[in-house]
Amino acid sequence: MFRRATLGPLFISPWLVGFVLLVAFPFAASLYWSFCHYDLLSPPRFVGLENYRRIAQEAVTGGRFGQALWNTGYFALLSVPLSIFLGVTLAVMLTWKIRGQAMYRSLFFLPSVVPVVAASVLWMWLLDPRDGIVNESLGWLGISQSLWFKGATEAVVPPGWFDFGSKDALVLMAVWASGNMMVIYLAAIGDIPTQLYEAAELDGAGPLRRFLHVTLPMLSPVIFFNLVMGVIQSVQAFTQVYLVSEGTGEPAGWSLMLSLHLFLAAFQDLDMGYASAMAWLLFVVLLGATIFLFRTARHWVHYQGIMR
Amino acid sequence: MSRRNVHPLAHLALMTATALFAFPLVWMVLSSLKPANQLTEDPYAFWPTRWQWSNYPQALSSLPYLRYLRNSLILCTGSVIGSVTSCAVVAYGFSRLRWRGRDAVFGVLIATMLLPWHVTMIPRFLLLRELGLYNSLAALIVPTFLGDAFFIFLLRQFFLTIPDELSEAARLDGLGEWGIFTRIIVPLSKPALATVALFQFIASWNDFNGPLLYLSDPQKFPLAYGLEQFVSSYSDQTHLLLAAAVMFTLPMVVLFLLAQQTFLKGIATTGIKG
Repeated sequence: MFRRATLGPLFISPWLVGFVLLVAFPFAASLYWSFCHYDLLSPPRFVGLENYRRIAQEAVTGGRFGQALWNTGYFALLSVPLSIFLGVTLAVMLTWKIRGQAMYRSLFFLPSVVPVVAASVLWMWLLDPRDGIVNESLGWLGISQSLWFKGATEAVVPPGWFDFGSKDALVLMAVWASGNMMVIYLAAIGDIPTQLYEAAELDGAGPLRRFLHVTLPMLSPVIFFNLVMGVIQSVQAFTQVYLVSEGTGEPAGWSLMLSLHLFLAAFQDLDMGYASAMAWLLFVVLLGATIFLFRTARHWVHYQGIMR
Repeated sequence: MSRRNVHPLAHLALMTATALFAFPLVWMVLSSLKPANQLTEDPYAFWPTRWQWSNYPQALSSLPYLRYLRNSLILCTGSVIGSVTSCAVVAYGFSRLRWRGRDAVFGVLIATMLLPWHVTMIPRFLLLRELGLYNSLAALIVPTFLGDAFFIFLLRQFFLTIPDELSEAARLDGLGEWGIFTRIIVPLSKPALATVALFQFIASWNDFNGPLLYLSDPQKFPLAYGLEQFVSSYSDQTHLLLAAAVMFTLPMVVLFLLAQQTFLKGIATTGIKG
């Protein structure tokens, strides 16, 4: 018979085994390999900071890594705020007293259960430069047509305003599938005490002021959660990027993102050292971004009330 | 938010937004039923000139759909069993038992969630290959038996809400910890376990990176990866591609409609308590 004190570690032992083999060992190994030249064929050879130097150089001169960094930043900077804005807006709309509310909610959520592989097939068809319905609709509205997945995206505000390229198409896909975040906002709005709205109304606040001074502050912890998760997930975006470019990041590297660049470096070029260094850089940058967001949180996230 | 009747313009805005969200899926289904020549000659016509249901059997026979489906189901079943059992056992150790260092170890578990998959990808791949799991679905299933930080966290939060008196009473009756776990905690946690099962099923069904890394033999591909092979070789056969995509999406939609409450509650709690 085990004593209860030893039972605890026994119960968590499956995770402990997984932690040691699949997290701790790989964590240490990839840190060491990031300082090595390692092509799987011969044992890792220590090269000091060589891999990091190469990455820094590519970042400065706009090499493959620099391009991937810019593409990833572009994608995260657009898709995260857009999906938060859309999610909050839709959630607020869904609290209106409207018949068929549950049906609307399901329809907004539905795109997020569509598997990425299927969603990629679908959006490549919708955004086909020649036969796609999106370009055709833009034409009806008198807006110039874009190349979408087949074209360049070089600036957040492109020279021709509606000249959309591959990264914009990826942003569109991400925003379309962000209904799961909307569900979180919706649940959080449901938890806001109605007395707050009644008090605001007694003070003569209209719908807009009630939104700005009650809903938004009360939602801020959830918005913060989605912001952090959104940044982490979008920086790690891989599957859809791989699929729409058939695993190349083409055309001309316009949709080459960090994850894809890393994957290709490791499993196509067998450049394990360089890939490990990039993974560690990615980790440190994400950690920095998360800490930074937590620092800013105390200025705009309101933890009083329901959220503790 | 006003709980009064809503302005018609606001209602219109909601309907427009819904239409924009739903349209891609409607368009996918409609286009998948159009004859091939309609998609090249008149792709914008809303209705199919002829409802070409034969696109579906044709897509089915153009790829080894049933074999891929079988692999997907093996992958999903194995992973769901692995995740639910291992995460429940581990979560019990983190919530219903007191032992020295528990909270510190739990902190480590939480910290692992912040680690991007890139950092562990390469050594993990080489390790699993050393263990002889390369080119086998086991490479994707075995790790689920070692727990997942997020699911463990989810279950621990749920287990903590179960009153301790229940365990105490059971201990007085002479039940051991394993008995308390299987006879009391597990039956009381069915909704939380269902959430884990559902999320793991979806993750395995959709998993693309795993097969991309670990599988090389087309005989072993699950649907998500098999479909991608199909996409690259049939890129000019849009009607077949879309039919295949619809068939791959349909199980997820049906699952969502059947388990809508589990879905929505699961996502909402992860967001608010996370």
